[in-house]
Amino acid sequence: MTANLAGDVTMRYVDLRPEEPGEAVPVLLLHGFGTTFDMNWRATGWTQALADAGRRVLGPDLRGHGATDKPTDSGSYLPERFVADLVSMLDELGADRVDAVGYSMGARLAWELALRHPARVRSLVLGGFGPRDAFAGTDLSDPGSGDTPFDHVFRTVAALPGNDPAALAACARGQAARPFSADPPPVGAPVLLAAGARDTLAAGAEDLASHCGGTYVEIPGRDHANAVSSRAFKRSVVEFLGERAPARGPGTAPPVG
Amino acid sequence: MTELIERDDAATEPPTVELSMQQAINRALRVLLAEDPATLVFGEDVGALGGVFRVTDGLQKEFGDQRVFDTPLAESAIMGMAVGLAMNGWRPVPELQFDGFAYPAVDQIVNQVARMNYRTRGAAPMPITLRLPSFGGIQAPEHHGESLEALFAHTPGLKVAAPSDAAEAYSLLLQSVRSDDPVVYMEPKARYWDRGPVELREPTDPIGTSRIVRHGRHATLIAWGAMVHRCLKVAELAAEDGVDLEVLDLRWLKPIDAAGLAASVSRTRRAVVVHEAPLTAGLGAEVAALVTENCFRDLAAPVQRVTGFDVPYPAGPLEPQYLPTIDRVLFAVQRTLEY
Amino acid sequence: MAEENVTFTLPDLGEGLVEATVLEWQVAVGDRVERNAPLVEVETTKSAVVIPSPKEGRIVELHAAEDEVVAVGAPLVTFAVAADAPQAGIVGRVPTEEARPARRVRLRPPAD
Repeated sequence: MTANLAGDVTMRYVDLRPEEPGEAVPVLLLHGFGTTFDMNWRATGWTQALADAGRRVLGPDLRGHGATDKPTDSGSYLPERFVADLVSMLDELGADRVDAVGYSMGARLAWELALRHPARVRSLVLGGFGPRDAFAGTDLSDPGSGDTPFDHVFRTVAALPGNDPAALAACARGQAARPFSADPPPVGAPVLLAAGARDTLAAGAEDLASHCGGTYVEIPGRDHANAVSSRAFKRSVVEFLGERAPARGPGTAPPVG
Repeated sequence: MTELIERDDAATEPPTVELSMQQAINRALRVLLAEDPATLVFGEDVGALGGVFRVTDGLQKEFGDQRVFDTPLAESAIMGMAVGLAMNGWRPVPELQFDGFAYPAVDQIVNQVARMNYRTRGAAPMPITLRLPSFGGIQAPEHHGESLEALFAHTPGLKVAAPSDAAEAYSLLLQSVRSDDPVVYMEPKARYWDRGPVELREPTDPIGTSRIVRHGRHATLIAWGAMVHRCLKVAELAAEDGVDLEVLDLRWLKPIDAAGLAASVSRTRRAVVVHEAPLTAGLGAEVAALVTENCFRDLAAPVQRVTGFDVPYPAGPLEPQYLPTIDRVLFAVQRTLEY
Repeated sequence: MAEENVTFTLPDLGEGLVEATVLEWQVAVGDRVERNAPLVEVETTKSAVVIPSPKEGRIVELHAAEDEVVAVGAPLVTFAVAADAPQAGIVGRVPTEEARPARRVRLRPPAD
């Protein structure tokens, strides 16, 4: 589906309904920097795993990515702009609350969504994400030109078919303009952090988990790129979401942690 | 002098085996490749992969990559290559992977394959059999479910065959490839997996003959390809109502068996032609015209046509509505009965 | 039921990639898998993907160990599939048929 929700940007998103619906609250999947919904979540088996668990899945191609419009000014990529897109999408779909699952940049955006709209997020999963500055040492006037972990990521994704390096560079600058802060953490939604044991970009994830009273799961042997498809990762998330799903009716505030 | 020859009747009888249509076509290709070293099988993915429908499975292994080979994804080049090979004495059996992708090759098929024999006054016959997985019914994406029979039947110089079951697929392919004329051999994708007894014998019915697959007296259903099976289902249901339908499998769409059509319809006095292609200028119109020309005085009702609609072939989920349904055929039968 | 072995090779994963590393098998030899169930997780230089099973059948052999690099077109897994089970082509699906098709139109035999 596509929708022109936020006015300036036409966004493509999917709404996948399971054959045997189990849980009413959908799962919102937010992909990482430079990828797309399909690449991050479909090709890696997530949509299938969630469908098997009876979960309805929502997810966009975030602005600057995939089939969604790709503006090239960094102001379009401030976290609050993404959050506005997401809220519009959820309104359009009539989804009052979601379980938000993000990977990498998508995790940052899931955090922001939970922070700004706590009523909309029942639980929060942050994959491949840590509290450190992801852009540290990167020359954001020319991302990809250096040798930082982010430069490496940028070079890989900029070469993917369909990506616009200018839009991605603007996206990096927009994100960097609002450095991540672990304080205050979102309230009301239990948090799961998961990252590959060799994921340098997610350094500090375990600390962040304890800081916000959440759970940390390490994915053995995996790095930032290949942790996404891990079966252990999927299993942890499906279990984590499942634990929260059945007992509560809508409107009851879940306990923190 | 008396020769004593021990005869084993069981061994000389052609074996009958149960095969799917895929396997029957494969079996016929094996026979053809084995009997004539000039026969070549080629197309997209027919070699190493064995065809997207497994029809050419194992042929490259058995006959080598000089006789069974993959081509670039270029339909016009596949048919152009067939023309050149035929001119040089080969017997090409190219495959175009899906009917919808025959369109890029129509120039070669219509302007070269169909005319070369005529143009060269017989000096360059075109013993080419184009294998074309055809028609709908498998809910494939766009360009994968077309019905091109009217286009090819309308092109002088081509023969057109459309088998309806495994046994027919076997014998029609033997005849098509052995014919020195170009044949478009349309394989109904929807019946590929359908199993049936196949007598591994030489074809006996001449090219251009139809066959009666069910005898009846109240009306004749005329069909080809996958629609033959559907018409048989209709006939079973009609029988519950005391209506006795004949089902005629046209199988050769060029030349058309005008005499066979006339013989059947003269008896039953009513005809319903069923095809997947759109109505307008479809082959059903040709069948209706032939029946009317030859059986005008015998007809108790105008010939009815039950066809696809005059729209581009729809997306997979709409196929069941697009293809002639059992009810649409029954309804047409009722119209002829009530006329 | 008669079975036959079918070997599935590493498919072209697009974007000009010529090989992939096996990250984790999601099946083991002897397992029965459904068509489209997760089969193996592989990683290319661009991304990690889960390859769904192209067949329904029993796993006979895994041709690459975890962490092993497999070239596109090289054998990945061998299935034993029921020999007479219809296997769909690469495009489309095997049509199913109701034993007794639904109908609404009823016929009346002609008077003559």
